[in-house]
Amino acid sequence: MTTVPHDQTRGDSTPFFQDAKPAPLSRNEVAALCMKAARGAGMSWGMAEEAGFAAAWLATHGIDGPAHLAAHLTQAQNRAWSELCPNITAGDWSAADGGSLCPIVLGATLCDHARLSDGPLAGCSITLGTVDYPILLLPFLAEIARINNVLIAVTGAKGTACIDASDSWMQTATEVLSDEAADLTLTARDGALKNPPPQVARHTKTSADTIAALNAFAMRTTVPASEQSRAGAGSAFSDND
Amino acid sequence: MSLYQQTAAPDVARYRRPASEVMRLARMGCGHPTRLSFLRVLLRRLASDDWQMDRPVWNVDAKGVGHAVYRVKGAERTYSLVAFAHDLPPEMRSDRVIATAWDATFTLFDGDPTPEDIARLADNVPLQEAGRISIRELTLARANRSVRLFAHVSDALAAGHQPDPEEIAKVGYLMRTTAVYGSGKFGAADRDDIAARPELTAPFQVEMLTVWLIRAFTVDLVEHMAAVKGGAQAVTLDPRIRRSLGVGNSTGLGMAPFIVRHPVLLNNWMMAREEALARVRAQTGADAAAVARLQEVVDAAIHNAEAWRSEHPVQVPKLRDLRDDLDLLKQTFATWDFSRPHPWDALWTWGEDALTLEGQEALVSLMLEPHGALIDDLADRMCADEAASFRLDGAMTVGALRDVLEEAYAWALAIDFTTPANTARFWYVSEEKLEPRLGDRLTEDGATLEQPLCIARLVRELYDTVQDLDAATAVASLLLAHPEHRYAVRRVQITRDHPFAEVQDNLIAADMLPIDLLRCKLAFFGASQFDPRSDRWVRINLFQGAPYPDDIKAEASR
Repeated sequence: MTTVPHDQTRGDSTPFFQDAKPAPLSRNEVAALCMKAARGAGMSWGMAEEAGFAAAWLATHGIDGPAHLAAHLTQAQNRAWSELCPNITAGDWSAADGGSLCPIVLGATLCDHARLSDGPLAGCSITLGTVDYPILLLPFLAEIARINNVLIAVTGAKGTACIDASDSWMQTATEVLSDEAADLTLTARDGALKNPPPQVARHTKTSADTIAALNAFAMRTTVPASEQSRAGAGSAFSDND
Repeated sequence: MSLYQQTAAPDVARYRRPASEVMRLARMGCGHPTRLSFLRVLLRRLASDDWQMDRPVWNVDAKGVGHAVYRVKGAERTYSLVAFAHDLPPEMRSDRVIATAWDATFTLFDGDPTPEDIARLADNVPLQEAGRISIRELTLARANRSVRLFAHVSDALAAGHQPDPEEIAKVGYLMRTTAVYGSGKFGAADRDDIAARPELTAPFQVEMLTVWLIRAFTVDLVEHMAAVKGGAQAVTLDPRIRRSLGVGNSTGLGMAPFIVRHPVLLNNWMMAREEALARVRAQTGADAAAVARLQEVVDAAIHNAEAWRSEHPVQVPKLRDLRDDLDLLKQTFATWDFSRPHPWDALWTWGEDALTLEGQEALVSLMLEPHGALIDDLADRMCADEAASFRLDGAMTVGALRDVLEEAYAWALAIDFTTPANTARFWYVSEEKLEPRLGDRLTEDGATLEQPLCIARLVRELYDTVQDLDAATAVASLLLAHPEHRYAVRRVQITRDHPFAEVQDNLIAADMLPIDLLRCKLAFFGASQFDPRSDRWVRINLFQGAPYPDDIKAEASR
């Protein structure tokens, strides 16, 4: 199916963005588009909601979450759940076959285990192994810090990202976690997180290309029209009265 | 914390209806607007607070093309409806989301728009979905004329006389909106950006404000066109006729999934209304003013039901039930012994036996109406912080999850999904138009791309999975082994704390009526005269009988 330029008949204005020009999306648009894209790329509905949450959280804090998610979905599609999810043993959550973890699955699962003994409690040290697009972990780590009243440190080859009480942790964490993949270890200690202020203006520069990539995944959740479906969608009477 | 805990007074708790009664589709499909409906909340605020309204720009030419600005100014903030009027050929007029041009297009601007803002909006708002708005805009909307009535009214006023009241009554509005988008759609400000403002805390306040100002625009436009045509002999609308005009709205399936996708919000709407009913029933006596007011509002309801037109085979018998029940209610109110103990509860209990579902739900609305001082505070609790209930509790045990399933979802587990009639439909999103649609599982392709809207079946599948698991297993482990249940587990955990979160019916059953979902939501908006145009498409009227910006203050001071 092709999209006609300026087709007003589809409930979506994002196809009208072009090329690499910035496309300021609302948080609601980021969350909805990224959720649909993650579902289209094969995540379960509930996990796709986590992807939407993560991308919107990053966008709210000035990081191009949609671009990282689009890149991750592109490389992770068609991989089996068992390859993407952590294999949880005491102190070691790395993937069963030594492969790389999906940051959305890992982040959501860490949150699920936030209050469990094998989870990210104060005093823990967990080997995460290789994590794809680790910046997408950040929203989940901030959630855990909030839920458990802990400060979290994630260490990889580029240094340590501390989700803590400093004013600049977002910036440092963004630099440490910005690679396509990283081999990471997570530790946590007691402490109160300082929440970075959400941005009021829309500075996140998501490009039209990113939106097109996400839309391509999202379209996989839709059903081609049939005469039957078109016929049932509107009024049974004339509207021109 | 749930609303009931906040207001837990044992004498009120006894009078609450259970979710198993309230959350059934047949009853939700009989919903009536109440004084807690969102447009009523808006009008109360605008009438009582320090808000001023004017129309700083009217730049519409003799063909009815141009733009206008309607302004609502408070102590701290100003909101401006920017309206664009177009010249639409009749063959392009359609109410569907898939239309490409409209008689008028609108945006609600956050503040006072400059000429540069207006120019930017003129480049985008008329395109609707093909344009983009910004964080400075709160809504995007469009409307089409009721061709018949607009022409009739315009011709009559131009000729120097008032329009035929019978023609007015047949339609009830000059224009109907075909979409009013908010909450970040097409680049607009997100709900989170504005939800903390007191005037916007209640749900859908920017959308309601948009429609209310559109109503003023529709009557100004028809009077403008009449003046252009009739010159000195043209007259303006009689205030009573003007008052009787609302804004129509056409709504289809696209709105139906909303209340399923927003369980906490649905819970809070329902609980506020149910708490209001319980408070009224819990009163030990009745004051004379409330009883007198009850007689007035039943007369208004009878008048509304008489004016309410529908040709739809589902709605016609429901309207008959409603009219019969309202007549019975009027007689009963006139002779009811309000000096007995708990007279309102006795009235309600009588109604449960004597009235159809239409009449019972109308009685809810009637009983709430005289009790503003007792219940209006509940409007503040109808919003929802959805982010707060997003995070799953992975430490919950499977045993506890199973308990919630067996108690709160007994209605869902009772449905036999091996019976074809119980899985006859599927919800999907159309590739062509990106709108939600409902398919027939047997005859249409696409069921593998089903949307997760039939919560009952998702919950059944979850229950089948957890039946064999050790009760001490953590939900986190369940989700690691079964990521496909993550969506349903989130619902169940939300329902644990929000008993009115679920529509307790099978949303893919052969006999399910999507218009029941629509009516429930539209009643909370404050819509009257619900008129189904098919089993998945309706027209309604908003703000009929309500004041306009130029008379709301006079009304409040009366």
